[in-house]
Amino acid sequence: MLRPNPVAADFAGLIQALAATGVEFIVVGGVAGAAHGLARATYDLDVVYSRTPANLDRVVAALAPLTPYLRGAPPGLPFRFDVETLHRGLNFTLTTTLGDLDLLGEITGGGGYSQLLSDSVDAVLFDVPCRLLGLERLIHVKRAAGRPKDLEVIAELEALKEERDREQGT
Amino acid sequence: MRDSTTPGTVGERAAIDPVIEAYKKDVDRTLLRENLRLTPDERLRKLTAFMRSLQGVRAATEPGRR
Repeated sequence: MLRPNPVAADFAGLIQALAATGVEFIVVGGVAGAAHGLARATYDLDVVYSRTPANLDRVVAALAPLTPYLRGAPPGLPFRFDVETLHRGLNFTLTTTLGDLDLLGEITGGGGYSQLLSDSVDAVLFDVPCRLLGLERLIHVKRAAGRPKDLEVIAELEALKEERDREQGT
Repeated sequence: MRDSTTPGTVGERAAIDPVIEAYKKDVDRTLLRENLRLTPDERLRKLTAFMRSLQGVRAATEPGRR
């Protein structure tokens, strides 16, 4: 389905910004699916970030220059993107100067950064070494989310896994 | 209450699995096989190029631009 005014985020710019300050994060969602081989449009970047105090500092250092604001919030709503705000919240759906970013402390079916880490894989994305949620776990979290709009995506992810396993002979 | 690490119940899975299997029949696997030959970095660069072209098409077909 077409969105009314879709603008894809600058995935490279966002990932490079997070990596530049050493943010501990795992790429999840549609971009993770695409990195595994899914052939599907996606508009925002979803990442699960570590909630350690040091990492919250890094997140703010990385994203504050991109003037993050709560997506869908009325203009003028007071919103300060700082460590205290991150500490008080968990999941933030943001607009930035590089496009939409979902900054997630936890995801349904996956939990937080430390719980997902063992199910993530190393990948180089846009010349940046980072962590990517593994395909099996990605399918698991999509199933756990239980959203009707994800059913088609789950089918594609499972087909992708079958093709990958077939190529690898597993 | 379900916590954030709990997958769907057995009943929920049983309900959605046939739907997923039905969708799976329509998946274009040639695109998936093509993508599997690329690196993750190459796949995302391909996605970025696709999204740019998609936006170009949308912009060109916006009302008032035809």
